[in-house]
Order: sequence, then C-alpha cells, then structure tokens
Amino acid sequence: MRVKPSSAFALALGSGLLMASCGGSGNSSTDNAADTLAVDTTPKETEVLNVGGKLFSIPSPVQTALAIRKAGLKYQKDMTAPLEKGDATVGKVAQSALLGIYGADMAYVTVHKDGQRAMATMQAIEKLGGKLELTNSFDKALLDRFKSNLGSEDSLLQFSGVAFRAADQYLKDNQRDDVSALVLAGGWIESLYLTVSDPAAAKDQALVNRIGEQKTSLNALVELLEASDKEKAATALVTSMKELQKLFSGVNSTYTFQEPVTDAAKKTTFINSTSTVTIPADQLTAIVAKVTAIRNMMLA
Amino acid sequence: MRRTLLLLSLSASIATQAQELCGTIADRCEKHITAQYIPDGQFYRALLQGDEQAEFNMTLFGGTTYRVAACSGESDGILVFNVVDKDNNVLFSNKDQGNAPYWDLSVTNTIDVRIEAGLDPTKAGSGCAVMLIGFKK
Repeated sequence: MRVKPSSAFALALGSGLLMASCGGSGNSSTDNAADTLAVDTTPKETEVLNVGGKLFSIPSPVQTALAIRKAGLKYQKDMTAPLEKGDATVGKVAQSALLGIYGADMAYVTVHKDGQRAMATMQAIEKLGGKLELTNSFDKALLDRFKSNLGSEDSLLQFSGVAFRAADQYLKDNQRDDVSALVLAGGWIESLYLTVSDPAAAKDQALVNRIGEQKTSLNALVELLEASDKEKAATALVTSMKELQKLFSGVNSTYTFQEPVTDAAKKTTFINSTSTVTIPADQLTAIVAKVTAIRNMMLA
Repeated sequence: MRRTLLLLSLSASIATQAQELCGTIADRCEKHITAQYIPDGQFYRALLQGDEQAEFNMTLFGGTTYRVAACSGESDGILVFNVVDKDNNVLFSNKDQGNAPYWDLSVTNTIDVRIEAGLDPTKAGSGCAVMLIGFKK
C-alpha cells in the first residue's frame, strides 16, 4: 500500500495521530498541526510507523493449493518441507522463510484433507513462531482449535488465515517488516514449487496460466523484500528472486476491459474483463528450475 | 542530546498510539470477513491525512470471489475505496454504495487491480485506514 500525495505527510502524521489519540477522527484535522510541528518531521517517523512505504498484496497460498486440487494433480505429501527442519533452522531469514513455507504446506495438505499432516505442520509452525517471537499468533490455543476441527477443511483454513494475518499485523506493528516480507516470500515460493514440481502441471493450461499470473506478485514481492531488508541479511535471496523476475519477463499477458456489473442487493460486483497469459515452453522450464533452486536455498 | 531523546520518545509514543488506533479498527474490520471467507493472511494499513490516498496493487484470480473490507475511525463508512484496473477504469467504488464498509468482487478472469482508499472528507480529516481481504473457496 502506498500513500499519495506524500508531501507534508510526515508533518501531518504527527498531528493526525496525536489528534486521533485524543478523540478519534474528527473533522478538524489541521487545527492541531501547529502544536505538533515540534515533532521531528523527518521520514524516520514514517518508518517507525510503517507508513508511506509500500505494502503489497501477495496471493494467499490457499488459493494456489485450491488451484492445484482443482487441476486434479496427485497429492504428494513428500513434496512438502520436512517438519524437523524447523528445529534445526537458525537465523531470522531462514526461520522467517521457513515459516512461510510451512504456511503454504499447511494450505496444501489441508485442501487435500490430510488432517494429520495439517496438525503436525501447525505444531511445527507454532514452534517456529515461538522462535520468531510470534507466540501471540501461533499458540497452544490455536493448536487446540486446530485439533478440535481437524475434519473441517474450512475451519482449518480460516484459523490459519486469521493466525497468519495476526502475525503479519504484529510484525508490522513492531517494525519487523523484513520478517513479514520473508514469510510472504517463503509462502509464495513454496506455493509455486508445489505447483510446478509435478510434471503434470505443465500439461494443465489453467495451472500454467496461474504460474504466469504470478508475474505482478513477484514484482511486488521483490520490491517488498528489497525495501524491508535494511540489514542486508537477505541479499542472496533478493538476488535469486530478481533472477526469477527476469525469467518472468518472458511471460506475456493481454487485458481487455469489460463493463462490470454490480448487484447492490448482494453487495457484489461481477468483474467481467478478460485476460490472457502466455509462457513460452522454454521459459516455463527455466522458471521451474529457478523456483526449485530458490526453495532449496531457503531450506538449506 | 535532550532534544534527540525527546524526539525519540515522541516517535515511540506516536508509534504506540498508531498501533492501538489501527489495532482497534482492525478488530472491527475483521468482523466483515465472515466465516464464509478465508483471510488472505495479510494486514494492510496506512495513516491518512486530508485527501491523501492509500493504494495497493493486487492480482485478483479468475473464478474467485473476494471480499474487501475497508475501515477507519470509530464507525463504518468513513473509508472510500475504488477498485481500478490497469487501464484506470474504475471497476467499483464504494462511494456509489453509501461508503459500504465491505464489498464482494466476483472475478471471472485474472486481472491486476489497484485499490485506492481515502477518508471521506465529510466524516474524517485523518485516521488509520485498514483494509482486509478474504476470499471464498
């Protein structure tokens, strides 16, 4: 998410927040500005508050898992990451990426109705979450809810979505955007890996399209990783993601606007625009190889 | 030195207030992503002042119904948001629907969109904008 226009934003930020803290969002927004001008208005504040930077929406791993299931690809539990890896992994970058990988794996095993593996994966997530100080999001209570609802795919997906969102909020609240971005990167790579590692995927046009449709998300992810990696701890990953980005530049897409239709009673707008995506075969092969290499790097 | 400490202290204080402010709004906004929808696992927020707009880009996958919830301030209807395609066509604006705090987007084909959100100037001059996304299986 980007805020525009940014001129005087930092200046207004202090006044807006102080005003809001004193009674919310009233109309007279600028009245107190003079009082708060003493607050340093350098961009530091916007960094502290994680405002003015870019936030992006990265597709949920659940959506990819559902697409895999819809394509009828065989469920292969062995393709998911080893759960014991969580105990051995050290360092913020590796742990964060692995948390994202486990999140994607959990979506995959859940939509394939492997409740036992889903539970084991959630336990691994809870342990890893502890290492990353995310016990507010992944805790025993979540495990208990999970255990009680193992037969309900919808509930498990709901619980995990809520937990990952809470973790994302906590990380952003605590200026740990680097961890947030790495979790997203891990989840995104694992989703793509689970899609492409079955050779049958290349024969399913819907799945091939879905791979190509990740181009914009990859661009966003690279930007997000670069912007948040202030400690330059994830340089190798960023470099690899940029190499993947180059391969995705060969993906071509078209878009044709069609008038949307809104059903106000159902609070729904039907978006009917059309689009196509094309990936040359050699490009797809290169993407598969690169995704696998990045995933291996994350798990190394 | 004293000034630096004061500024650091003020910055920390503002950060805490922002967290609390956005957190309360997020709690209310979450209620719009009902049990039928799977949360996308991400949290989007921006602090807005005046006519500033927050925007983020996302890919909407074909065959999916998304729920977009947009909240600010102490009640629903303060945040105005537009869903815009890559050619700048407005696909949806909640302004046309009485600033509805949530809306469903049923997407036939995968498209890249930009969501722009700003405060309704008649209702708020500043505040935390929170957007949450969920989708149906």
